[in-house]
Amino acid sequence: MTLLEWRDDFRIGIEEVDHEHQEMIGLINQLHAALGSERSGERVEAFLGDIFAGISAHFALEEKVMRARHYDGLAEHKADHERLLDDLRDMMDEHAAGAVLDDQAFAARLGEWFGAHFRTQDARLHKFLAR
Amino acid sequence: MNAIKRGLRALFLPLESAFEWAFGARLNPVTQLGTLGWFLFWIVTVSGIYVYVFFDTGVTQAWESLERLSRDQWWLGGIMRSLHRYASDALVIVVLLHALREFAMDRMRGNRWFAWVTGVPLIWFLYACGITGYWLVWDQLAQYVAVTTTEWLDTIGIFAEPIARNFLDSERLSGRFFTLMAYIHIAVPLLMLLAMWIHIQRHAHARVNPHRWLGIGTLAALTLLSLVRPAMSQAPANLDAAPFTLGFDWYYLTVYPLLQRMDGRWLWLILVGGSVFMTLLPWLPPLRRTAPARVDLPNCNGCARCFADCPFGAITMVARTDGLKFEQQAAVSDSLCMSCGICVGACPTATPFRRAGDLTPGIELPQRSIARLREQVVSAAATVQGELRVLVFGCAHDAGSAALADGSTAVIAMPCVGMLPPSFLDFILSRKHAEGILISGCAAHDCYERLGDQFTEQRIANERDPNLRGRVSRDRIAVSWNNPSRHASLRDDLARFREHLQAMSGQQAAASGPSAWRPPVAGAPQALRIAGQAVAYAAIAACVGYFATHPPFSYLGKDEALLKLSFSHAGQPLKPCRRYTPEELAKMPFSERRPTSCERGRWPVSVEIDLDGEPLYRGIHEPAGLWNDGPSSAYARFEVPAGRHRIDARLRDGGDPQRFEYQTSKVVDLTPGENFVVDFRATDGGFVFGRAQRDAAQRSGQ
Repeated sequence: MTLLEWRDDFRIGIEEVDHEHQEMIGLINQLHAALGSERSGERVEAFLGDIFAGISAHFALEEKVMRARHYDGLAEHKADHERLLDDLRDMMDEHAAGAVLDDQAFAARLGEWFGAHFRTQDARLHKFLAR
Repeated sequence: MNAIKRGLRALFLPLESAFEWAFGARLNPVTQLGTLGWFLFWIVTVSGIYVYVFFDTGVTQAWESLERLSRDQWWLGGIMRSLHRYASDALVIVVLLHALREFAMDRMRGNRWFAWVTGVPLIWFLYACGITGYWLVWDQLAQYVAVTTTEWLDTIGIFAEPIARNFLDSERLSGRFFTLMAYIHIAVPLLMLLAMWIHIQRHAHARVNPHRWLGIGTLAALTLLSLVRPAMSQAPANLDAAPFTLGFDWYYLTVYPLLQRMDGRWLWLILVGGSVFMTLLPWLPPLRRTAPARVDLPNCNGCARCFADCPFGAITMVARTDGLKFEQQAAVSDSLCMSCGICVGACPTATPFRRAGDLTPGIELPQRSIARLREQVVSAAATVQGELRVLVFGCAHDAGSAALADGSTAVIAMPCVGMLPPSFLDFILSRKHAEGILISGCAAHDCYERLGDQFTEQRIANERDPNLRGRVSRDRIAVSWNNPSRHASLRDDLARFREHLQAMSGQQAAASGPSAWRPPVAGAPQALRIAGQAVAYAAIAACVGYFATHPPFSYLGKDEALLKLSFSHAGQPLKPCRRYTPEELAKMPFSERRPTSCERGRWPVSVEIDLDGEPLYRGIHEPAGLWNDGPSSAYARFEVPAGRHRIDARLRDGGDPQRFEYQTSKVVDLTPGENFVVDFRATDGGFVFGRAQRDAAQRSGQ
């Protein structure tokens, strides 16, 4: 089963950002599947590393787009990005420290993490861009 | 060449350290000579515009108008005039030091050839500005500058008639030529400004303003100098007399005294040859070239952070080429890239956390990959032991960080510490690879790669993307910026960082500061440092003020007079003209008929001058013009003892070598400092001696 489904209302209207959102969802789903099928620490760590690098780059791109369009919610949105990256790093550290991850709880945390950001910050950006 | 650079560095580095002690890194004038140059340029421009408002460009009124400005309006006009002069002099110091320092630090390689090469004509423009400026005052120094400059320009031989003839004596003084100088003095600075703008084009985030307090201090020092020692004119110019001694601006007129002894053509050759050599310096060995940064498209989404951080403008954002749904991608210009790696430090995908594939970021240096950097970090961390393990990241130009390695300290060398992505700091501390990280780079605000130190600090302090993760303790990351001569200071910083780490481990939850830790500046109290600044300003101002007029320059010996030979006279035609015969005329088209046939070409004009029966001058002057049909002209200057002399002058303008068409003898009493002109005008019957002309003019005036 997939954890996160791409929905059209996630779309913010900028092709490259939407494209990356879909990529991120794909990555998170892969991680979820990996967690479900095996407990291979290395593979999970690598997935987390991929997600971290990918999301860092994605946020950098999104911030560039917001800056270019003089988005008034940039500071708040960026702070949320930083909070999300911080959380992700926590998960990575927990995993590295050998904490036994409850795969469901772990995946749910990731999914929620992304979904909440979509519903609030990205939705607001979408509204701003549609104006 | 390397020995010269080492020698210069041995001079510069202690000076920089001393200035940093007094001024602090942010205000250190030695590391911002370029911006100081811009600042002085603006002072000169503003004061110049003010002086121009009151300046009379007529040759007879110029001196008086400036004198009035300095005396009646000393409180503003006088200060402006003095600022105009002293800021110009300071500009020479700053520009030459700037060039010398960039050379000494080898900051002209690769992409930097552009700034270096465009800087060379700037020096010429600067001197052209200063020399034409001194000309405009029309005092004795201006007279010297006008005569010497035109004589020097005449040695190139590009002018049909010697332009020095414009300043032969007071009768022949050309007011129009003088006014032309005023316009050149405005045009050249405008060109210079354009060239200054071009000069910094290849530097991203180029700074053109010094730190505010440095600017204020500089302006204050120059203003004080202007009050203590106002710039004044010397005695008004008098072309009938040559000045004996002159207050001399050694900043702008440095090479002029050489012209007393040396053929002007040699001086041109030395200066032009020197400039060409200077222009070629960036391509002289030893050349170093490392592979430029490379973009990895699968990992680049076009976020433009590398573009924003490249100090050399080597990265551009271009349209996507790989079909992925991104708008842009980064592109590196190989010829502009300096391989500093600052772009890698900016790339969000440059993280040390293990990934499914290779650790390849969107952009990196092929010879210095992120994957290898991670390996180095992990293996270096494995070699150190103890309670307080410190990893040092050192740049290629720091104060010798390699020597810091010991049992509990490992050192990792990088081209520039700006290459280190903040996620590495997070990785090292959170994965407990070390208890502390010391970043060692060039002197603060003087990064060899221009901006590495600033970007590193800003990333750690959350002022620049990519940020260091908020939760990472800044107290475990220290920065130490030192020029290469300050190894002891770097070692001391490491020792104090260890003490700091030790103290922290005692108290469990130490509050972390917002930015990287640095040892508190110990040592001299504030008052002493401000006194140091005052001494530095005073010394520089005194240096500017003194050499602007001293030591005086002796143009002419006490008992000497000048004798100048100058004329412009057309020799006789090679063949006399001949009348056309009626038959010839009949054959010519009506519109081309003329009475005489004259072949082009004239005889050269030969001149001989004897002084007291001894040969003083012998010259053969070829006619000017492509067809050799123009006038022959001559200009020569002799220093002769004052007193009574017999002058015999002979001139031949025809083809008979046995005969001089014109001959004159005259006994003259030359007074010391007199400027005595021997001219030739066929319409006045031959040679014209300066004194006779003037005497005649005086008589007719009475």
